[in-house]
Amino acid sequence: MRPTARHLRIVVQAAVLVGFLVLVWLLAEPRVRGEAASVLLAVDPLTAIGTALADWTVPRWAWIGFVILALTAVTGRFFCGWICPLGTLQQLVSRIASPRRRLLLERNRYRRWFAIKYVVLAVLLASAALGLMHIGWLDPISLLHRTMASAVRPLWHGGLSPGGWVSFALVAAILLLSAWMPRLFCRAVCPLGALLGLFARLAPIGIRRDAAACNECKLCLIPCQGADEPLGEHRVSECHLCLNCLYSCPENGLGFGVRAQPAAGAKEPSLDVGRRRFLLATVATIAITPVLRVSGGGLSASTADAIRPPGALDEGAFLARCITCGACVAACPTGALLPDLGHTGVDGLFTPVLVPRRGWCEPSCTRCGEVCPTGAIAAVTAKAKQAINGPAEVTIGTAFVDRGRCLPWAMDTPCIVCEEMCPTSPKAVWLETVHAVKRDGSEVRLQRPHVEPELCTGCGLCENRCPVGEKAAIRVSSVGESRDPRNRLLQRPGAVTSPA
Amino acid sequence: MPNHERHEIESLYGRIGRREFLRLWGRPGIAALALGAVGAALAGRAGRHRPAAPAQVSAPPDWRVRAEPILAASNGQGPSVNVRRVIAELGGIERFVGKGESVLIKPNCGWDRLPEQAANTDPELVAELVRMCLAAGASRVIVADNTCQDPARCFRRSGIGPAAKEAGARIVHQGTSDSASLDLGGTVLGVWPVLKALAEADRVINVPVVKQHSLAVATLGMKNWLGVLLGSRARLHQRIHQSVAELGAALRPTLTVIDATRILTGGGPTGGSLALVRKADAIAISTDPVAADAWGAEQLRLGPMALPYLAIAERLGLGTSNWRSILRQA
Repeated sequence: MRPTARHLRIVVQAAVLVGFLVLVWLLAEPRVRGEAASVLLAVDPLTAIGTALADWTVPRWAWIGFVILALTAVTGRFFCGWICPLGTLQQLVSRIASPRRRLLLERNRYRRWFAIKYVVLAVLLASAALGLMHIGWLDPISLLHRTMASAVRPLWHGGLSPGGWVSFALVAAILLLSAWMPRLFCRAVCPLGALLGLFARLAPIGIRRDAAACNECKLCLIPCQGADEPLGEHRVSECHLCLNCLYSCPENGLGFGVRAQPAAGAKEPSLDVGRRRFLLATVATIAITPVLRVSGGGLSASTADAIRPPGALDEGAFLARCITCGACVAACPTGALLPDLGHTGVDGLFTPVLVPRRGWCEPSCTRCGEVCPTGAIAAVTAKAKQAINGPAEVTIGTAFVDRGRCLPWAMDTPCIVCEEMCPTSPKAVWLETVHAVKRDGSEVRLQRPHVEPELCTGCGLCENRCPVGEKAAIRVSSVGESRDPRNRLLQRPGAVTSPA
Repeated sequence: MPNHERHEIESLYGRIGRREFLRLWGRPGIAALALGAVGAALAGRAGRHRPAAPAQVSAPPDWRVRAEPILAASNGQGPSVNVRRVIAELGGIERFVGKGESVLIKPNCGWDRLPEQAANTDPELVAELVRMCLAAGASRVIVADNTCQDPARCFRRSGIGPAAKEAGARIVHQGTSDSASLDLGGTVLGVWPVLKALAEADRVINVPVVKQHSLAVATLGMKNWLGVLLGSRARLHQRIHQSVAELGAALRPTLTVIDATRILTGGGPTGGSLALVRKADAIAISTDPVAADAWGAEQLRLGPMALPYLAIAERLGLGTSNWRSILRQA
């Protein structure tokens, strides 16, 4: 068999998919530089446009995404057919599940409701412009990356979480739907596909049809990925450039090259959205977005159990930049970071929170900031987050002793584990020695823990190791985090006071 | 059923023959019966709990060699020379490690700290012990600890990981080791999961670093055994002195090597600030774990009576806290 461009496409798809999976594992490998391990997240122009709208910044290496966007304006949605790993997985599933050929003829026709993805794009971009970054929910790169990081990787390394489960369920649903209709998600939902589709309409190069050769046999519909109707009015905005049609045409009537321009007076097939519907979706989003920001988007104080990774920007900027890719979740060596579900409101869905009962923030570790592609978690130095010989520059919260649960406080039982574990120097947890009289009249020497808030970094090692089960007797909450002047505990001399 | 009704039904649906009945109801009937049988078999089991297969529990091996109680110490030469001189004074490593035996070295590698911060055993000392064991013909040497922080980071930044690997040892920690259940006996311990490598070793060398500890007063050799335990070892702190002494009774090392190259005088067991570290450049090795800990306490300017667990250990007959009586200065 002669190697064709189609074979090349399959090789590229397989390589990207494998690379994607390998890199998720390398996020936690300290010998690989953090920014290299998250490089594939940079191929996504949609998240870059999202952060640009929300925060006027673009992710690291976003130029790769913009190059892909520019190439799309030249030659169409090659990203969807050749690169996107979620597309590859769907293609794989639909090939294995393979509906009968006669059915595929029907399934691979264009449908008007495929235009929903343009509405999805409008909604996501409009809300991003208002500072509400939900693009990562449905962006295929973020979604799949988050699923791999927080649902698949934990099968080996532990750390399954509800947020990871929901992401996994979404991907599973997308793959199952693709067994019914090939690439249903790409065709009808994907906001990245919609963005690329808009640019593809400009493309001079694409699938070229020799109308004279076509005898309407429809064989090209059977392997078609985009449902872009190569045999009729070819919809270039839907075409994934998988090139399957080229090799299915018995008359050799399809080729790849400079497209025939629409005849004078005729236009490209419409997007089936209509300007009014587009406008309505955008306006409705703008109206609804403020309501969706139930946690206040960081404009009010942070929530107690929303402990953010060290170096995270203040909540407003953090939510504007976080694309919920889950890179930090996979990179955390103690498994402390989880994609959030429920602690930080709708606007914080899938953003990383630190759960001390799962793990703690290792004082010498700065990996989450190194892998973060958007700078939602700024890179900090290990020195800045270690409180050695004095308070730390970067703190993520403060530990509080629950005197009703603490063994020496409430049960007259010796225990000093929180103090023993405390990694600051001097220790933020200190012990007060008391001689208490127990119920039976015997005297017991107890060392009762106190927290020096000035020294506490909120790392959570004390909470992680507290022997009082399920709900620890010393717990970290976000107050005192250095990133947010409104969530401060102590009035530090020279500190910037709350602007509000 | 009155006749006219039966006729009515038959006229509506036709008369169902036996064959027809079986064809219609045979398969669903079998399925229903099978489901019912499964249900009947499982009925009443809901509240019954099937206990997990009991783990293989064994008594901890005795790693001691036949040797008189003896303690030797050396100082001022740097960890490598100190340890070589002390071992020579004890009669050479060959007395303690035989050809083909597997050796487990248990340093204190619990913390994500640099060697200068004295929270962990000196890496050079660990590496030198590894080299000596291998030179004596040990089949393999394992350096093991269940660290308190991220194990990869603890082994890397303490310097113990790279140094031990270069010397030819294998690193084992909670992330890479299976667990084995040991019956540690005693009044507070009982059955505990431990690093499996410990249960499998022929000889065990305990290599703690001398540190202040807010509850145990000082953490030395017998306290260092907490680092081979898996499971909820944080509960042992409720009766720490009894627990430490009973750990000493259950786990009998070939040698206890007390590392006083650097001493953490406060803020233990984690330390951090270099102001808490005192350089003593001393090492003692003993076949008697109680004497070894008493020597270690002396480095913190503490008499043996300052450590309640030493008194308990002495009562349990584990050794003598009068280390001077068995001392040989190397």
